Amino acid sequence: MPWRLLKFGLQSEHNEPRFFPESKPLKSHYDVVIIGGGGHGMACAYYLAKEHGITNVAVLEQGYIGGGNTGRNTTIVRSNYLTPEGVKFYDTSVKLFEDLADDFDLNIFYSTRGHFTLAHTDSALRTMRWRAEVNKHQGIDSEVVGREEIAKEVPYMDLDCNGHAPVMGALYHAPGSVARHDAVAWGYARGAYNRGVEIHQKTRVTAIRTQGDKVVGVDTDRGQISCNKVISMVAGSTPRITEMLGIRTPIEIFPLQACVSEPVKPFMDTIVVSGSLHVYVSQSSRGELVMGASVDPSVLHSTRSSFDFVEGLADQMLDLFPFMSRMKVMRQWAGMSDITPDFAPIMGKTPIDGFYLDAGWGTWGFKATPVSGKTMAWTVANDKTHELIEPFRLSRFADFDLVGEKGAASVGH
Amino acid sequence: MKLLDCPDIGKRPISEFDYLGEIRIPPSDADEATWADYVFNRDNAPGVLRERWYHRPTGRWFILERNTLTDEVVGLVDPADVRYKEPNYEVPA
Amino acid sequence: MKYRLDPQPLEWIDRRESVSFRFEGQSFSGFRGDSLSSALLASGQKLLGRSFKYHRPRGVLSMANHDVNALFQSDEATNIRGDVTPVSEGLDLRACNVNGSLANDKDSYIGLLSRFLPVGFYYKAFHKPKKYFPFWEKIIREKAGLGEINTDWTATRQPKQYGFCDVLVIGAGASGMSAALTAADAGADVVLVDENPHIGGSLDYQLANVEEAAGVRADLKTRVRSHANIRLLEGHYAAGWYTDHYVPLVGADGIVKMRAEQVIMATGVMEQPSVFRNNDLPGVMLASAAQRLITRYAVKPGQRAVVLTGNDEGYRAALDLLEAGIEVAAVVDLEWLDKRGPWAEQVKAKNIPILEQSAIYEAKGKDALTGVVVGEFDGRGCDSGLTRKFACDLLLMSVGWAPASQMLYQSGCKLGYDKKAHQILPRALSNGLHACGRLNGAFTLEQRLADGERAAKDAMAQLKGEAINMDLTLHRDSAAHSHDWPIIRHPKGKNFLDIDEDLQLKDLINAAKEGFDNIELMKRFSTNGMGPSQGKHSNMNGIRVLAEITGKSIDETGSTTARPMFHPVPVSAMAGRRFRPERLTPMHQWHLDNGVQLMEAGQWMRPEYYLPVSEAGASDAAGAGQIDQRQQAILQEVQAVRSGLGLIDVSTLGKIEVMGPDAARLLDVVYTMKMSTIKIGMTRYALAVDDSGVIIDDGIVGRIAEDRFYVTATTSHAAAAFRTLSLKIQELGLNVRLANLTGSMAAMNLAGPASRKLLSGLTDVDLSEANFPYLGMREGTLCGYPVRLIRVGFVGELGYEIHLSAAGAMEVWETLMREGQSAGIRPFGVEAQRILRLEKGHIIVGQDTDGLTNPFEANMSWAVPLKSKPWFTGKPSLALLKARCQRKLIGFRLPQGFTGELPKECHLIIENGEIAGRITSIAYSPSLGRTIGLAMVDLPLADEATELKVRVDGGAMVSIEPCPTPFYDADGARQTADLTEVA
Repeated sequence: MPWRLLKFGLQSEHNEPRFFPESKPLKSHYDVVIIGGGGHGMACAYYLAKEHGITNVAVLEQGYIGGGNTGRNTTIVRSNYLTPEGVKFYDTSVKLFEDLADDFDLNIFYSTRGHFTLAHTDSALRTMRWRAEVNKHQGIDSEVVGREEIAKEVPYMDLDCNGHAPVMGALYHAPGSVARHDAVAWGYARGAYNRGVEIHQKTRVTAIRTQGDKVVGVDTDRGQISCNKVISMVAGSTPRITEMLGIRTPIEIFPLQACVSEPVKPFMDTIVVSGSLHVYVSQSSRGELVMGASVDPSVLHSTRSSFDFVEGLADQMLDLFPFMSRMKVMRQWAGMSDITPDFAPIMGKTPIDGFYLDAGWGTWGFKATPVSGKTMAWTVANDKTHELIEPFRLSRFADFDLVGEKGAASVGH
Repeated sequence: MKLLDCPDIGKRPISEFDYLGEIRIPPSDADEATWADYVFNRDNAPGVLRERWYHRPTGRWFILERNTLTDEVVGLVDPADVRYKEPNYEVPA
Repeated sequence: MKYRLDPQPLEWIDRRESVSFRFEGQSFSGFRGDSLSSALLASGQKLLGRSFKYHRPRGVLSMANHDVNALFQSDEATNIRGDVTPVSEGLDLRACNVNGSLANDKDSYIGLLSRFLPVGFYYKAFHKPKKYFPFWEKIIREKAGLGEINTDWTATRQPKQYGFCDVLVIGAGASGMSAALTAADAGADVVLVDENPHIGGSLDYQLANVEEAAGVRADLKTRVRSHANIRLLEGHYAAGWYTDHYVPLVGADGIVKMRAEQVIMATGVMEQPSVFRNNDLPGVMLASAAQRLITRYAVKPGQRAVVLTGNDEGYRAALDLLEAGIEVAAVVDLEWLDKRGPWAEQVKAKNIPILEQSAIYEAKGKDALTGVVVGEFDGRGCDSGLTRKFACDLLLMSVGWAPASQMLYQSGCKLGYDKKAHQILPRALSNGLHACGRLNGAFTLEQRLADGERAAKDAMAQLKGEAINMDLTLHRDSAAHSHDWPIIRHPKGKNFLDIDEDLQLKDLINAAKEGFDNIELMKRFSTNGMGPSQGKHSNMNGIRVLAEITGKSIDETGSTTARPMFHPVPVSAMAGRRFRPERLTPMHQWHLDNGVQLMEAGQWMRPEYYLPVSEAGASDAAGAGQIDQRQQAILQEVQAVRSGLGLIDVSTLGKIEVMGPDAARLLDVVYTMKMSTIKIGMTRYALAVDDSGVIIDDGIVGRIAEDRFYVTATTSHAAAAFRTLSLKIQELGLNVRLANLTGSMAAMNLAGPASRKLLSGLTDVDLSEANFPYLGMREGTLCGYPVRLIRVGFVGELGYEIHLSAAGAMEVWETLMREGQSAGIRPFGVEAQRILRLEKGHIIVGQDTDGLTNPFEANMSWAVPLKSKPWFTGKPSLALLKARCQRKLIGFRLPQGFTGELPKECHLIIENGEIAGRITSIAYSPSLGRTIGLAMVDLPLADEATELKVRVDGGAMVSIEPCPTPFYDADGARQTADLTEVA
């Protein structure tokens, strides 16, 4: 038994310190205001305080910590992207994830499982090879594997897909992992709070005040704040924030749905994604199968669920895993994905001085949590775009200089 | 499954429709920035949006005003109201 | 079946039919109509399962599909809910999540360690040092999960039905039946659904012995069953509410997807447990569970009972126990007796001890309940120390209700806490939604009937489009039926708040202490409500606890969001029948008869290549010794086209006729090149880009008449091409009509030097070079069928695309194959075509281009008339991109006789250690006798390099030599020249 557990047993009282502060009034001024208390916002606050000594920071969250896409995603972490800039960025994230539990002294259940992206067509297989080659070039462990190798790792999968679009091969990414999403946000929040950052839940930003092209403050439903630096890290709510400043972006909001099965004894150790069948699945440490598909087909600023989603998912899933027909889906939910035309994020400075954007996270925001927090903190502290996120600048669209991540997207979790 | 009102044959399940997104009209005499804004940027805040939908079985395009926060359809838009003529775009020398 | 009672008037079991089954290796029997749990209880088996975390003994809690501690598994199924799954002959069941056997669970020691495992313990341990986490994780994973699955199970899929109705009433209890009848009487088409196998709801188990209810029950049931406007669906549960009143009703045989105009929720309430030490022992159950056992299954839940109550219903339950011959040792009331009604007086009249202002402080027993400690209750706890003990094997909890309001939340309705009723009640309902009965706070039978009627009238008015002034409070009870704090702290804990997840009261308190003092955060940290019952018996108490800790009201505390599903839904039912549409060309059967290897292209099945009899002469040149049969067949097909004749089925191409005065204008907008200047009878290459200038499709446009064009598109883009053309017609208000001929027309490409000669004998079209030049398009007949012939050059030989109605296609195909024999005709497939076009340097959109490739990068600036054409889709983007071109598609070749590791498509070009491009196409060219390909290469390298390095499998670097394209017949003589010149 780990000594921590012994310690719990020997205490007569539950004397664990608070993760997050109790609710208290807003101050009139902060050096930096972060809008959005999800993983990204908390990570940014954490690195601002830890690495740049900036602690007069308020994180404003309209709901509760980690209640947006942080708590709604399917927790997959990987770096097998298509473009060198994407690979570099996500690889930095994976490395940060690997040390996060130590860094926080909090178990985020970071669990390396291996990640198969199945190819059912020639062209999918070509894309897999492209990704594998780019990955290997950057020192990332990815390779195209054949049916035999897949069968060895996932023997219970029907590679023939019941006779339609059989699996031809896969991109195998050994570092593919899952983590406990909430714990990532909580760990960052606790670390930020312990270093002096204020976290205000149930605090909704209603306006961002500017003078000329400079940020001077933020209005909230709990009062006004003056500040010169505001970072928006609100994923699906990004259009509401950018609208306040008249900043136009290519982001569109599409619901992304997911579901879990009833818990069963763990049998699935790997993460399996099929772009052609639009499904992905892993098994959580609670024994639930965590499953998802691609984003909904039309814009919607809502987290409603649809039955078509689970029906389609169930139908496609049985092509790969016939035995799942005897399992049951327990719960479904949705998040709001902020999708960009080139399936890459939008990060860094904006036309408004002092307003920084971290958005366009689509379906891949969770895996970028540490690196986005770190690079955005650096960018804000230095008022200079961090080199890792330079390709993701908002102005790339005006320059027709898009990121070529489209090939890896479809269902890229 | 959500229902959409196809102007030709009435309410049909949304899976029969394709979604194009908000109505966009190519600007005439656009400078680079205006053109890039047209190509990439969107009126993306929640609210009532005019959007093009396509009903696959009938091959019918139509335009709906829809509230993207509540998913309620507000009304049908006459395509003539948003018609445009091909811009004459001279390539700058 | 020693615990079976004499026949009960409303029982569900059929005593004529006995059913045998096995559980944990022992034989049991029950009656048809029994649930697994009731049959086991009837035989005295009270221990039904072990808890998730501590492996504590557990029994019946609700008998209402919430008993997730009575989960069984068999060789055929897992996570079987004992409380609601019917017994069937020959079942062989085991308990889920036990280590060893249910009776001797080797993991039951974990309960002893519970003090070492406080709330969220796993976040605070096992991660240091990092390298040991996989070790701990393995142990944790072994303990995780409930039932086992068998990965050898085959897929079962249940067909689905679609249903439609005016009014859907969910729940066939008193209020639901009343609502259904009211709406049906008013002429509505009503569907009444209930998750139980029989209608009646609590009318049948809670009011089973109430004389006044008997007449009402009989009347309601008879009318509901016989009403012409009511369709009754028993044994189906509503899985969730979805947009536009779409409610999947899940039954044993599959799902009925019901679309309603109005939905009346008569879903009732879910009885809530009291929280006290050892409240999870087998023998401790909800009062309604005991009533269900008695009335539905005639099962005696115990011999000697104590009833804990905070409402009138507890006294009703006590009377029901007495009626069933069960001794009632005491009724323990959380409040004073004077708050209670006539049922309490009846209990009192029977001299049953009633302990007022008291609560259960602790239940006693090891594997089952043996007694309770009753303490004086001050409204918050039993800390005075004044206790009394009672021996008993049954303890009923009747302390309150939580609404089955999950679907109301899903539909956006507003609910709030009623401080008088101590229950969450609906406040404002969304359009088309209604709530009645206990869900809405109507508790007496009269109230429930009246409330059902009211809801139905509201629904009928809305159905007719009338405005209504909905008053949900009309028939609500003034008395509370829930207690606001049925939660008793105990220094030794084990007072479970969520028995799915083994959460004790202190776990929630400690979670809040650590800052998780928001209802959602508390849920996520403690896992309250995350188990298979999804908080049905833990969410309400969780809210009460958090409100108490934070000093906030219940409304301020809020509730977690109720997501679908209401009960878990089998994947087999959701998947439905497997439907994978497949499109076949008119010549499909011929392909099958002639050795075709098919490939999927979207929904289409296309010939990839054919494996016919070998042709010795042709195979030598390709070096057949080293290459497999597939490769050999493909190369032979290539050679047939180059040297004689080939025929490929291209029926999958998009084929669209564009007609009307604005037809040319439309095509000028959609395609980069000018289509308005095509001469009648001629065709032109058609390249389409999107607004951002990225290549999305290519094909050809041919002019049939001044106002009539014929357009082809790639197979994968066919539907999109038609859609885009339709869209532009609407956007610009053009006078154009489209005919999508993709499915009704077949097409084949007859290619090779002998093509003209073969055709000339079969068609009335003048094929002479002068009258039918390259890129020409002619109409005429072929084998008697009207055809459209197009001189195309994709494969780089003299060739004719033959388009005709699907009806005649097979005959034409067979005739060509027959008549072409002397010229060595071969059918060729997609693979050969890929090589043929590669030899000509033609791109395949989507292979040689990616999601960002523009025409300049693809070396197609000739197809982008920026100067001469005032507008086409994407023009301004291309004008910008022209100067910013950063990469370029180039041709390359490998040395003749190259024997090393061959590069593959998407292998990278490396220059100075950096990625400088990738191979997009590569193949062995039989015509050139060497391997050729296309590569997308960074500029200026693409223009300057004389040698490029490709990293191949295994990491070796292979040199490729850039070269101009086309690789084959660079001046195009073979596709334009007269037959005699190239023969």
